Amino acid sequence: MNRSALLLGAVGLTMGLSGGLSGMAVADTSGKRIALSNNYAGNSWRQSMLQTFTEAGDKAVADGVVAAADAYTTSENQATEQAAQIQNMILQGYDAIILDAASPTALNGAVEEACNAGVTVVSFDGIVTAPCAWRIAVDFRGMGREQVDYLAQRLPDGGNLLEVRGLAGVFVDDELHAGITEGVAAHDQFKIAGAVHGDWAQDVAQKAVAGILPSLPDIAGVVTQGGDGYGTAQAFAAAGRDMPLIVLGNRKDELQWWADARDENGYETLSLSIAPGVATLAFWVAQQILDGKDVPKDLTVPFLKVTADTLDETLAATPDGSVANTVYTAEDADKVIAAAIAAPSENGAK
Amino acid sequence: MKLLQKPWIWSWVAAVAAFGLTIALTQGRGASELGYAALSFGAFAAIVGLGQMLVITLGPGNIDLSIPASMTLAATLALKAMGAEPGSAWLGLLVALGVGLGTGLANFALIWALRLPPIIATLAASLVYQSIAIWSNRGLRIKPPEALADFATGRMAGVPNVAIVAVVLAALVWLVLERTIWGRWLLACGQNLRAARLAGVPVEAVRAATYVAVAVFASLAGYLLASFSGGAALNMGSEYLLMSIAVVVIGGTSIAGGMSNVPGVWGASLFMFLVVSMLNSYGAGAGVRMVLTGVIIIGIVIAASTRRARQ
Repeated sequence: MNRSALLLGAVGLTMGLSGGLSGMAVADTSGKRIALSNNYAGNSWRQSMLQTFTEAGDKAVADGVVAAADAYTTSENQATEQAAQIQNMILQGYDAIILDAASPTALNGAVEEACNAGVTVVSFDGIVTAPCAWRIAVDFRGMGREQVDYLAQRLPDGGNLLEVRGLAGVFVDDELHAGITEGVAAHDQFKIAGAVHGDWAQDVAQKAVAGILPSLPDIAGVVTQGGDGYGTAQAFAAAGRDMPLIVLGNRKDELQWWADARDENGYETLSLSIAPGVATLAFWVAQQILDGKDVPKDLTVPFLKVTADTLDETLAATPDGSVANTVYTAEDADKVIAAAIAAPSENGAK
Repeated sequence: MKLLQKPWIWSWVAAVAAFGLTIALTQGRGASELGYAALSFGAFAAIVGLGQMLVITLGPGNIDLSIPASMTLAATLALKAMGAEPGSAWLGLLVALGVGLGTGLANFALIWALRLPPIIATLAASLVYQSIAIWSNRGLRIKPPEALADFATGRMAGVPNVAIVAVVLAALVWLVLERTIWGRWLLACGQNLRAARLAGVPVEAVRAATYVAVAVFASLAGYLLASFSGGAALNMGSEYLLMSIAVVVIGGTSIAGGMSNVPGVWGASLFMFLVVSMLNSYGAGAGVRMVLTGVIIIGIVIAASTRRARQ
């Protein structure tokens, strides 16, 4: 009797650990309040992020997982304003703050204050360097390398590449560019024939590409940073050039363009980006930390990839003008945490 | 020599030089492609630049910083109203122009009734317009109707349609400034507001009309740009704030007001596109490109203003 009860208990514990984490968490974090501090709302990615967070947060509150999941956005993309916002959140007594930061360093003071007040801080996308905060970072270098790896697989003979970069002087642009440079070094059949800054916007990319195209030789492939693929394609079409292999960034208009081109001439490419739902990943990570789970400080966001096989289903699920999205669950957060535990050195290096 | 004394000549010289240097790199290949692209993209800068020019002509302190927000709001609401339905292009245009009328009147109301400096009034108002644009469509991108998109990206006799629209607008503005009483009033206000008022110029009416005109121009540019690039985006106007001011200054219009210069705005718009194309084609990095763009702009402004001083 005693032995079987022990056995049952052990089985129950294993099951609880493997499958029912969110179930277990209900008891422990139901009184906890989580706030999202967001620094910018002026593009469709951020809009989608806020919407996904609100939906997932409302559901978590309704399910009794947490007591509150509130989103706050600063009106200007400024670190000072966001620091004040974080201080307000400490005063309001939130247990955890998840943070898309305006600056990796300027908010450290406010973040330290939060930590000292016993508030869990999880930064994501725009991360902070304060040691007491958790970071869910995007491996932008890996994203750049992966684009060139894909092109190498599709274009074994190589050729000229056009690189459409993001906003000059921004960390993300530098990292993606470094990854692409590494990729081109690894696949020496490719050569970057030209580079322009498209500022992650279709119209800016279209303008920049249209301006450089007349001076370029034949282009075999285009590496992009997301939000600029459709504008690039428009510029190539307007110039009457052969359509190169453009790696896309999951925007609806990019995916729609791909689907149309596929129906017309069998065009095939790869689309990858970070899902705006990453805010929900940060939410679940924060919830697990509040739940007492031991979580490494540095985590990595998975890429959301769209391939020829998943194009139609992704396209159908993405609202017009938005970006391909996925809502992360507590189980996804577990996987990300497990991956970070399995490969601590790789994450520590970043 | 008389030609060299025109303040607008320098922006055209610079545009032609940038064009020539780019084409020199490709040994003449792609010249028509580049010219076509410059006309297409220069058109949007020219339209917002013409509006900004009118406001700057009103005299020191007059400027419209709500241009990007007006563009975004007009484009967002117009594309939402059209909903990609065929045959709704005129409805969309009407909505866009209506938005321009509204934002222009609102800007002027803040400046006139609350006596706010135009910089503060238009900047504050632009936050409101941008928020309305976010709220109305949450950044969703709606495609323009097929016919409208075809028009915006199409050409007539080898010239982009948007460039034709911008040239017609420039001619209209020139006509109004040079040949109508309203244009004379505007210049008089810019040269000396007090003297203009004492001379019986309806100063407030002129200012109101000018602030409405710039907003309507911005809205039209937003409507065309959204149709051209396949939909409105929340950040679509952002690069046109500095652009609108830069093309006015490079074009040889006096920043002190009272003297405007229509051909210069077009020359400067072409130049602003071509200089970026040129530096990109030569493989200049972003840092070098921005420094060189800045240096070239300063050079042109100095050239244009010393000519004016000697006149």
